[in-house]
Amino acid sequence: MVERAAGAPIESTTRSVVGVLRCSLEHLASEVPESYRHLVAELDRLVVEVVVDGEVFTLRTGRGRVEVVDGRAAAAGASIATTRATVLDVLDAEVALAEAVESGRLDVRGSLDDVLRAHDTLTAYVHAAIRASSVPGLIDALRNTQDGVR
Amino acid sequence: MRVPSGAPAAEVMSDMAVLARGDFLRAPVLATARPEGYKEWHHFAVHRPGWRLLVNFSLANEPLPDRPLRLVPRVIVIIHQERWSGVVERFTDADLHVSADLGSVAIGRHSMRIGPDGYRITIDSPERGIGGELHLTPVSRPFVVTNQPAGSGRLSWLLVPRLRATGWFRAGGVEHRLADEPAYHDHNWGRFRWGEDFGWEWSSILPSNSGDPWSLVFTRVTDRRRLHSFYQALFVWRHDELVAVYRDAAVRADSHGLLARPPDCTLPPPMRLVLGGEACDVPESVEITGTRSGEVMRAEFRPVSYARLAQPSEVDLDRSVVLCETSGTAHIRGVVDGEELDFTGDGVFEWLHG
Repeated sequence: MVERAAGAPIESTTRSVVGVLRCSLEHLASEVPESYRHLVAELDRLVVEVVVDGEVFTLRTGRGRVEVVDGRAAAAGASIATTRATVLDVLDAEVALAEAVESGRLDVRGSLDDVLRAHDTLTAYVHAAIRASSVPGLIDALRNTQDGVR
Repeated sequence: MRVPSGAPAAEVMSDMAVLARGDFLRAPVLATARPEGYKEWHHFAVHRPGWRLLVNFSLANEPLPDRPLRLVPRVIVIIHQERWSGVVERFTDADLHVSADLGSVAIGRHSMRIGPDGYRITIDSPERGIGGELHLTPVSRPFVVTNQPAGSGRLSWLLVPRLRATGWFRAGGVEHRLADEPAYHDHNWGRFRWGEDFGWEWSSILPSNSGDPWSLVFTRVTDRRRLHSFYQALFVWRHDELVAVYRDAAVRADSHGLLARPPDCTLPPPMRLVLGGEACDVPESVEITGTRSGEVMRAEFRPVSYARLAQPSEVDLDRSVVLCETSGTAHIRGVVDGEELDFTGDGVFEWLHG
């Protein structure tokens, strides 16, 4: 991502995809609370299981927040499997989301309703992130680390 | 590019003192007095055969929970070399430095300074692969329009329709040396909110042949659907002098067709996730006609390619407004004060769709 927040505080523990995601959600909650609440409302009761390279984690709502839990979900409505390289290519607009899905670089499974809700949640996340000053720096952190250390 | 023959260069240079007085940064005063919705930006476009450079120094007051509004500085660089690409760099207010005379602004390592001989711009972002030093000397007099409607707010601007750009610029591993290339500058300030019911069309046309003395600027502010025009004007300069202004009913702009190609790039890139699609409403051609005292001026612009710049809506949490920065060719024909014009130029058109 070429937008960056110069001087934005980037946690040193955000080298994994799940670490970056957790950190970004914390920033969204504090920097753009209205957008964050919209994101929580979009995810609602959906449980999304995400696999990025070797990392497995689950997204769900709880106590009015988006929770990111390590490991597989017992009953995920939608499942997403992809790679860190694909995540970065999509964020850099090198590959459109639809192209990533059609080419198999990003695998999405679930009922149509749940997949659409997952997409709406992603859209809400992007709209929130683009309004938050520190998230671009987090994406730089994701780009600049190649290991999966959390 | 040379100063067009017959242009009173010395007179124009003396006008630089006027320009420096008028083109100062408003934010330190206006954004402090009433911060809500305040925005300001200095915009520059440099033309070169097969190459365009847009540089924008932007300040916008943005809210942060539990804190007063603060000015968020951004530097936007969009460049066309074979295709459009670009960088949007966002900084904090701690990275912003404005000189006491309000004529110079530094944002991080980037800077813009207005001096007695023109504008000096430094872009320095090696980590993004861009950098350059530009010196832009006005060869036409500035023109100011104030307090035009933009949604519930107002927008003012200062135009310098024609400058000469020298220096160098590097992007994508390619360095370009600039020697008196034609350029354009505008400076905008006001209070409004992105996403309100307005849009605009903004264009600069400069002749491909540096000997041609003409420069044109067209602006139109409309509602979001572009059904109602709040303000529109076509300005024509000969050498340094504004020789014709066609306003409101004296000017019409007709769009034809749609440009059948996707954007070369979307900025910031993650916004491609929410903008999606490849359809656009950039027209295939635009014909602008001004009529005055029985004389007619026509400018036909044909876009070739474009970059898409997204601004988060300040009205809706899940909407954006999109600016399409378009390059292409323009053909100008007409008569001004009995003098015939017929030339081809390079155009940069910007469409803002609310």
